[in-house]
Amino acid sequence: MIIADCGSTWSKILDSDTSSVEIVSTKDLVRRPDAVFDVATGHCGKRRGRHFVNELVALAEGGLALIDEDDFSIVDVGGRDIKFVRFKGRRLDKLDWNLVCGSTTGATVELLGKYYDIDFERLEPSDKWVNVTCGVIGMERVLEQIALGKSPEESVSMFLHGVVRNVFDFIGRPERFYLSGGFCENRAFLRTFEHYAEVIPLGRTVLIEGLKAVLARGEIAI
Amino acid sequence: MFESKGKRLIGFYGFPRREIIDEVRRRYGYEIELVDLDVNYGAPDSAALPATSCRIITNIVDNAISMKDGLVAVVAAVGEDKCDRGRHAAFLLGKMGFNVIESRFDPADYEARELIYSVARMPLADKINRIMDTIVDPSPPSDPPPRCEPTHGFWGVPPNDFRLLELFPETTHVYGWTRCVEAGRPGDLDCETFVDEGVPTVFFTQSFCPKQDLAHYLSEKYNGLAIDCHRNVTGSILAKIEAFIRLG
Repeated sequence: MIIADCGSTWSKILDSDTSSVEIVSTKDLVRRPDAVFDVATGHCGKRRGRHFVNELVALAEGGLALIDEDDFSIVDVGGRDIKFVRFKGRRLDKLDWNLVCGSTTGATVELLGKYYDIDFERLEPSDKWVNVTCGVIGMERVLEQIALGKSPEESVSMFLHGVVRNVFDFIGRPERFYLSGGFCENRAFLRTFEHYAEVIPLGRTVLIEGLKAVLARGEIAI
Repeated sequence: MFESKGKRLIGFYGFPRREIIDEVRRRYGYEIELVDLDVNYGAPDSAALPATSCRIITNIVDNAISMKDGLVAVVAAVGEDKCDRGRHAAFLLGKMGFNVIESRFDPADYEARELIYSVARMPLADKINRIMDTIVDPSPPSDPPPRCEPTHGFWGVPPNDFRLLELFPETTHVYGWTRCVEAGRPGDLDCETFVDEGVPTVFFTQSFCPKQDLAHYLSEKYNGLAIDCHRNVTGSILAKIEAFIRLG
């Protein structure tokens, strides 16, 4: 069986027979009309799955499957949006999904990184930040900083810090939380977040784990 | 689409005082149809307001402009019972040559009408439409819908795009400004900020509406879900509500 989390910028595809996970660029996937999965979630998943699971539900299910604690917060920082679920006593306490204002910040980090050839593994965190109201406004601030004489590295680092502050405020400023998504692999993002909270990265396949949990309960008839 | 061609109309928006609506009808004729200008009838975009305007206010201006030939008067709620942008819309429509009659609700005029639809078991969209109909005709229904305990809550104003309401169960109670309309106290902040504690509630505003401040505060206080929507709903907004209702 093939199950997939088709995000806005990256798609994670699991072949349950081999347990192998393939990560492909969604821009390539959307040009493949034959790419249809048994079960899908994610922003681009609705037309790609014979069965579809809401991505916030998949994140919540994935968190419950991977985390044993009674009380925890989990946030998925994606290319297009931020999804957040908080559990108390393993029951839903709060959820939110940042869609319009404040969105596309993840994709903008990637765009800026590629444009300025930034290595996020080596990028030094900045103690300054720019206001990242949304990806477009944040990018304008980066260009402004560069025009004022800052290096692209420091400007992008300030943008990243702005994203970190947005995420931190959005999830209610917890002392500790679990992180899902591509930013688990962004060392500069994780190091910047250390100033605010303890971050436990869970990797890019939390939503896939959520789909597996839903399937294991027999809620989807394949 | 509202068919306005060849018709004489009295437009209104927000919740004008009923005696003002009645006075205008007496002056121009009870046979003239009333039309709620807040509603999205698919009027052409007039570009009279900035793109970052609350869609409801844009509807008011676009509707008025598209109905201009037949609109004999606009009864405009311009007090605390609407918002500054409602007041500004009245000013702009006046400058465009419309016959604008302003309405302000004084707290002394607040009523305490019994809630029938806000707490009823019926489809949420029907509930909200029936509440808004009480602005013109507040007489109680002869066959009221059954009352129910709330399983969910919807807080806010009638949305520009009613598809948003289709996901809610019939046992959803109505809170916020819409509830205030049914109670006859549209500027009462205590009434507007009331919700039943423990009921999973979606706090809805149009994007660029000042009520976003209240929605944000209340959603944090009651662990609800704040959503805002510009123009029409998107799949992602529907997915967000769907997840909240399912997980909540």
